[in-house]
Amino acid sequence: MFAELCTMSNFSFLRGASHPDEMVITAAALGYSAVGIADRNTLAGVVRAHVAAKDAGIKLLVGSRLVTRAGFEIICYPQDRIAYGRLTKLLTKGNRRAPKGECHIDLEDVLEHSAGQVFIAMAPMMASLVLEEGFANHLARLAKACPDQTYLAQSFTYGRNDTKRLWELERLAARTRVPCVATNDVTYHAPGRRTLADVLTSIREHVPVAQAGFLLAANGERHLKPPAEMTRLFKDRTRALLRTEEIAARINFSLDELAYEYPDETREGYPTPQHALEALTEAGMQRRYPTGVPDRIKAAIKHELELVAGLNYAPYFLTVHDIVRFARSQNILCQGRGSAANSAVCYCLGITAVDPAQIDLLFERFVSAERNEPPDIDVDFEHERREEVIQYIYARYGRHRASIAATVITYRSRSAIREVGKAMGLSIDMVDALSRTTWGWSSGGIIADHVREIGLDPEDRNLALALELTREIIGFPRHLSQHVGGFVITESDLDTVIPIGNAAMPDRTFVEWDKDDLDALGILKIDVLALGMLTAIAKTFELLENHYDLPLELATVPVEDNDVYDMICLADTIGVFQIESRAQMSMLPRLKPRCFYDLVIEVAIVRPGPIQGDMVHPYLRRRDGTEEVIFPSKALETVLGKTLGIPLFQEQAMKIAIVAAGFTPAESDRLRRAMATFRKVGIIHEFNTKLVEGMVSNGYERDFAERCFKQIEGFGEYGFPESHAASFALLTYISCWIKHHYPDVFLCAMLNSQPLGFYAPAQLVRDAREHGVEVLPVDANLSNWDCSLEPSDGGSHAGPRAFAVRLGFRQIKGFRAEAGEMLTAARGSSFDSVRDLWLRTGLGKGALETLAHADAFRTLGLDRREALWAVRALGTEPLPLFRSAASVGAEEEVKLPTMPLGEHVVHDYARLRLSLKAHPMEFLRENFRREGHVTCADLKTIRAGRRIKLAGLVLVRQRPGTAKGVIFATLEDETGTANVIIWAKTFETFRKIVLGSKLLAVRGQVQREGIVIHVVSDHLEDRTGDMSQLTDEDRPRAMPRSRDFH
Amino acid sequence: MSNFNAVDFDAPLTLVISTQGSFRLSACNKAAAGEGLSIGQLVTDARALCPGLQVLEATPEADARALRQLAAWATRYTPWVAPATGVNGIDGIFLDITGCAHLFGSEKELLTDLLRRLKEFDIAARACVTGTLGASWALARYGKGSSVLNRDAEAQALAPLPISALRLSDQTAEGLLQVGLKRIGDLAAVARAPLASRFGPEALMRLDQALGKASEPVMPQILEAPLRVRNAFVDPLVQTDAMVLAIEKLCAEMEVLLLERGRGARALKLTLFRVDGETATLEVGTARGTTDAAHLARLLAERLDQLSSDLDIGFGYDAAILDIPRTDALAASQVDLSADQKPFSGDLSSFMDRAGNRFGWARVQHVYPVQSHIPERAVMAQAAHVGPPSLDWAEEASRPAALLPCAEPIEVLAEVPEGPPKTFRWRKVAYRVSRAEGPERIAPEWWRAESASNGVGARTRDYFRVEDDGGRRFWIYREGLYGREATTPRWYMHGFLD
Repeated sequence: MFAELCTMSNFSFLRGASHPDEMVITAAALGYSAVGIADRNTLAGVVRAHVAAKDAGIKLLVGSRLVTRAGFEIICYPQDRIAYGRLTKLLTKGNRRAPKGECHIDLEDVLEHSAGQVFIAMAPMMASLVLEEGFANHLARLAKACPDQTYLAQSFTYGRNDTKRLWELERLAARTRVPCVATNDVTYHAPGRRTLADVLTSIREHVPVAQAGFLLAANGERHLKPPAEMTRLFKDRTRALLRTEEIAARINFSLDELAYEYPDETREGYPTPQHALEALTEAGMQRRYPTGVPDRIKAAIKHELELVAGLNYAPYFLTVHDIVRFARSQNILCQGRGSAANSAVCYCLGITAVDPAQIDLLFERFVSAERNEPPDIDVDFEHERREEVIQYIYARYGRHRASIAATVITYRSRSAIREVGKAMGLSIDMVDALSRTTWGWSSGGIIADHVREIGLDPEDRNLALALELTREIIGFPRHLSQHVGGFVITESDLDTVIPIGNAAMPDRTFVEWDKDDLDALGILKIDVLALGMLTAIAKTFELLENHYDLPLELATVPVEDNDVYDMICLADTIGVFQIESRAQMSMLPRLKPRCFYDLVIEVAIVRPGPIQGDMVHPYLRRRDGTEEVIFPSKALETVLGKTLGIPLFQEQAMKIAIVAAGFTPAESDRLRRAMATFRKVGIIHEFNTKLVEGMVSNGYERDFAERCFKQIEGFGEYGFPESHAASFALLTYISCWIKHHYPDVFLCAMLNSQPLGFYAPAQLVRDAREHGVEVLPVDANLSNWDCSLEPSDGGSHAGPRAFAVRLGFRQIKGFRAEAGEMLTAARGSSFDSVRDLWLRTGLGKGALETLAHADAFRTLGLDRREALWAVRALGTEPLPLFRSAASVGAEEEVKLPTMPLGEHVVHDYARLRLSLKAHPMEFLRENFRREGHVTCADLKTIRAGRRIKLAGLVLVRQRPGTAKGVIFATLEDETGTANVIIWAKTFETFRKIVLGSKLLAVRGQVQREGIVIHVVSDHLEDRTGDMSQLTDEDRPRAMPRSRDFH
Repeated sequence: MSNFNAVDFDAPLTLVISTQGSFRLSACNKAAAGEGLSIGQLVTDARALCPGLQVLEATPEADARALRQLAAWATRYTPWVAPATGVNGIDGIFLDITGCAHLFGSEKELLTDLLRRLKEFDIAARACVTGTLGASWALARYGKGSSVLNRDAEAQALAPLPISALRLSDQTAEGLLQVGLKRIGDLAAVARAPLASRFGPEALMRLDQALGKASEPVMPQILEAPLRVRNAFVDPLVQTDAMVLAIEKLCAEMEVLLLERGRGARALKLTLFRVDGETATLEVGTARGTTDAAHLARLLAERLDQLSSDLDIGFGYDAAILDIPRTDALAASQVDLSADQKPFSGDLSSFMDRAGNRFGWARVQHVYPVQSHIPERAVMAQAAHVGPPSLDWAEEASRPAALLPCAEPIEVLAEVPEGPPKTFRWRKVAYRVSRAEGPERIAPEWWRAESASNGVGARTRDYFRVEDDGGRRFWIYREGLYGREATTPRWYMHGFLD
C-alpha cells in the first residue's frame, strides 16, 4: 500500500544520515511494499541496499537522485536493464567532465538518456509560497519530453506553509500534466538520527551546530514513517499515495540482471579461450619441469583444466596470464596469490612461483562448481613499477572497458572526532587532544578514561554528546577513492554497468563500487597490487647479477636451504618479509620452521584469526609432541590433516562451518563476508548461534565450536587463507635466503626500497653491521642517489667477495633525487672542494647545506661545521663567469669550535635517521650505569625472573588488536635491542610516557622463553630530556620518531 | 581555555598563542615550569604532561600596551625611555639614564629604587645597567641577575651567554649555531670578514652594539597628548545658561582637536572647578564616534540639566576642562553633493545618544534577528551603543511581530495525534476555532543544555495559526509529540497574528 521512493542514504555524502542497509531493513520492518534508494548523482550505495533487500525480502528500486548544475533535482529509476545502462552512462558522463567527487549534469543530458526511466521531480525545500520559477520551467520541459514517465513528489515537511505548498504543487502538477506522488523525502531511517543529520549538515557547511541556524532543519521528520502514518498524512490525497505502488510496479529492474560479460580473450590461432589456456599451460609445464613432469602434477593440471572449462573461467586465467607476461617482458617482478593463484595451472603459466609439488593445495577449495564463485587471483608487483602495469591494462582494454574499483573511505575514530568535535564547537586543541587518544586507524571511538586523562571531563554534556555522535558516525562513508589495484574489465562498455568517475590522480578513473559490491554481484576483478618487498627482491636480483654474477628469479632461488632455516629458527630475521615483526620473531624459535610448509604456517599463524581463536598454543603443543594429535571428528580429518588437527587458515574455518555445522557453501561464504564488515553486529550474532549450535548438535564440543567462531571473527578483517600464505611464504623464504647468503646485497636493496617493512634504516644498518657488513657513510664524492656496493676491505663477512654498502644520497632527509642526479652527473672523478662542487654541479646553496648537514664532505677533509662554513661563503663570491684566481683564497682562516662526537651523532640522526659513528646511548651509558641500568646485551646472561633496569631509544611501539591492550615496545641501546612488554594496566598508568618518550627507561622483570627474552615492565620513565646532554646546546634536537603499529 | 576569574595563580598556569592552527605555550608560571612544561610546547602535549593545566590565551598586544604604559611611568627616572623591541616584539623597557643617575645617588641606587618600585607594583623584573642597550638586554635576560656593570666587565660577562642574547633573527641564530658559534664569546673570537660574508651584517652589528663598538640610541617613546581643552572664566559662572555657553565653546574647540587627530568621541568627561576648590564631573557616552560640537554640547547640556537640582553652584565655577577618555577612529562619510538639500538624516545615532544618556544605555536597545527556529530565540536585544542596528530582517508574515513575554498555558480540545485545536480556553475565556493552519513543527535545539533535562525546550512544538469565529487570530502551540514525547501534550498561547 505504500512504497517510499525518495530516500537518500549516507552515500549522499554529508546529507543522508543512515546506511543504505539500515534504510532497506527498516522499510521492510515497517511493512513497505518496496523502497527506492536514490543518492545524489551516484549509485555507490545501491549494492549494499540490494544485498540487504534480498535478505529482508523487500523489493528494491535502484536509482539515483539527479541534481543538475542548475539545481533541479529529479529522482530517476530505470525500468529495465537497458534504461539502467543509460543511467550509468549519464552519471559517467557527468562524472568524467567534473573534478573528482563532483558530477556535472544538465537537464539536456537527462533528457538524452531518458528512455525507459521513471522520473520524480523534487521541489526545492523552501518557506516561500510561490514555487520557484526555475523549477516550474524545468519540470515543464521534463514533462513535455517524457510524458507518462514524470511525476512530482509531494511531502509533508511540517514547515511553515505545508498546506499551501502542497496546494501549489498540485496546481503546478495540473498545469504540467504531471501526477503527484507521495513521499517523505527521507534522509534517515529513524527519528533518532536527526542529531546526526544536523551534525552532518554542519560538517558540510563548515559551521558549528550551535551557529548553523537556519541551515539546520527545523524538525526531524524526514525519516521512514509507518505506512499508517503516511496514509493519515495523505488521507486527502490517496491518489498520490497509491501512485507509489504503481510506480514501484512499473520498475522491473534488479541488480541481479547485470549479467556480467567477461572479456572474450580469444587468442589468435585457437578456436576458444580454453584451447589457448590448455596450450599455454602445456608449454609452461615443459618449461617448469624440463626434466619431466611428475605424474601428480600432470593429473592436477588435467583436473584443474576440466574445472576451468566447466565454469568457463579460461578467459579470466588468460587475462591474468597476459598481465603477468607483460610484466615479465618489462622485467617487472610479480607474484600471484589468492584462491586460484597457487594452482598447478598458474604455476605453469608463470603467475606464481610456488611449486605445487612443494605444497599441496586443493584447487576445488577455491574454484568450486557448486558455489559458482568467481576465481580470485591477486597479483603483486614491484611497488615502484606497478603503474606501468596499470597503464598497460588501460591500453589493452581501453578506458571504456577497464577501470579500478572504488574504496569507500569511511569515518574512523580520528576523522570522526575531528569533524564531529568541530561541529560541536570543541576547540581545536581539545579536538586535537581527543583524536590523539586513539590508536592509529581504530574504529572503536574514544574511551572515557582517556578523555579524563587528557584533563577533560567526559561527563560534560557537550563533550559527551560529541563522543556519542562520534561513535555513531564511525563507519559512515566520507568519500569514494580508488582501490589500491582492483581492476574491473568487461567485454562491452563498462559504463553501462557501473558509473565511472575521475580519480584524484590524473589519468585514473574508477567505478563507483568497491570490492565487496563487485563480489556481491559476481563481477570479476583482478587485483593488481603493489608490494614493496618485490621491489626490494628485484633490486637484490639486479645487484646479485651485477656484483656476484648470479642471475636469479623467484622460482630459481635454491629451495629448502638448511642454513637459511637455521637462521630463521634463531629469529635472526630483521628486515625479511613477513616474519620480522616482534610477534613473528618471538614465534619463530617456538615453531622452528624447517621446511617451506612450516613457513606457510608461520606466516599465517601470527594473525588475529588463530590468535583470537586460541589456536596457536594447541598447535605449538602438538608440534612439540606434548599434546596428542586428535581430530574433533572423522569428517574434519581431511580438513585439518595438514595442520595437526588445529584450524589455522581461513579456508579451514569456512570448511568447518560446512562440514561440522551444516552450512551450505553459500552460507559459509555469506558468513565470511558478514565478518568483513564489522558493523553488522546483528547478522554476526545470528551466524554465531547457527555455527555453534550446528556444531554442538553434530557432536562437537561447545568450547571448540566457540573458538572456531572466534577465529572466523578474527579472520574477518584480516582474512588469511592458505593460498595467500603460500605465496607470501615464498617471498619470505627468498628474502631470508638473500639475507643469509648476501647480507650486503640485502641491506643495499632494502635501503633502496624504503619505506618498507617493520624496521627503520637505522636498525637494518645495525643488523647488517652485526652480520659483518661494512657500511660506509654518505659522501659527496663517493655516494650515488641509491645505496651502492663497493669493494670492501674492512668487512668481516664470511664470503670471499663481500662488498661494503655505501649509503646513498637518498638517505639524506630533504635531499631531492634531481639534486642527486645533478651531482653524480657532474662529478667525474671527484670534487676537490665545496666550491668546486658548487661550480660544477650548479646545485643551489640549499642542497649543499643539506649535504653539509648530512656530513657528506668528509673526503674533502671537512666535518659538518666546516662544510657549512664553506657553503655559507659561496654566495658571496663573484659569479662563476667573473671568477679569477686572485679573488679566491684570500680569506682569513677561521678555526671553528670542534663539534663533540655526541652532537655529531645527534645531527646524524636528525639528518640521516641513523649514525654510523656511535649510538646515542654510549654517551649516556656512564650515567645509566651509575643508576644501575643494564644493557640490552646483558639481558642474554641475566637469569629469568630477575628485576632489572634498562634504558634505550624506543624503536617500535606496537599494540596488536589481539593482545588485549598489551603494548610491545622495542628499545635499542649501543649493544642491541630489547623487547619490553607493558601490560594494559601498566600502560594505563604510564600511558603518556609510553606514547611520548623517545628515550625510555624501564624497570621490570626478565622473562625467558627459549631464546626469546622479554622484559615485563611495571615502571617506566621518560628520559628523552637526557638527550640534551649529547650536545652543548640548550635545546633538544629532533630524534627520529618510533614506528607505531597497531 | 580557563576562566580568568577562576584561575589559581599558584597552580600550573600557561599562556598560549595560536600559530598556524596549533596552540603553543608562550609563557608558564613557576608551577607549570616545575611540571616540566616549556615555552613553545604544544598545549595538547602540555595537557598530557600536566592534567588540569590552566590555559589562558596570550594577549601580545595588551602586553605591549602595558609595557608602553610602564615606559611612560619610567620617565620619572629619565625622559629617554622606550619600550625595548626584542626578537618577538616589545619585550621590555630601555632607560637611557645618562646624566640622570646622580639624581638618585648613583646608578646602583637608581636601579635599586626602580626594582623596589616595580616590586611594589607586583611586577617581577630584572634590570641591568651597562654601557649599551645590547648588553643590558642580554644580561637582564641571560645574565645572573639584576646588576650594574662597568665597561670592562661587560665583555667578560657577555662572553659565556648564548648568541640568542644578541637579539638575532632566528635565521641568523640558527646559522651561527650550526657552525658551532654558540656563545657570544665564540662569535667575538671569529675573524670578522669571513663572518660577515657568511651571515651578513646582522650578527656583527648586534655584537658591536652589545660591546659598544656601534652606537644604538634610545628613541624615546613620544606620549600622545590627551584630548583635553580647558577654559578659565573671568568671573565665576553661576547660571546654567552661562555654563551651557561655556560648554559649547569647549566643544567647538574640541571638534577642531578631534578632526585634527581623525578621532570621534565615544565618551566625554567635563570637570567643573568651583571657586572653593570643589569639583563636579559630568560624563556622557555616545553610540558611535562623533566630532559634531553641537551634538556633543547638547549631550552635556542635557546632562547638566538633569543634574541641575543636585548641583550646588555655590559661589560659582571658574574653570572647566573637557576630556575625551575614549575615541573611535573616524570613518570618512559621504557628503551629499547637492547643495540645496539638507542631507537626509536616517541616522538615529544622535537620538540614541540623547536617549541613552538620559535614560541609561541599558534602556536603549537594538533588536537583532538570530538564526534560530525557536521563536523566542529568533530575536535578541542588545544595548544600542554596542553596534549598529541590523537591516537583515526576513519578511515574516506567518509569525507574530511580538510574542507574549511568556507562553501561557491554555486548555485545548483537539484531534489526536496532531490535529489543530477545535476550541480553547485562554485567560478564562473560551474561543471557538473556525480556521486553523498547521502544524509547523519545531524540534528542540538538542545541542543546548536545557534540552537535555525535561524542562522547557526539551520537547517538540507544533505551532498552529488559528482564527476564532470572531476573526481574532492566534499563534498557539502544542508541546510534546503525541505518543512519542508525551502522553498528554500541553498547549500554549504564544502570540497574536495580524
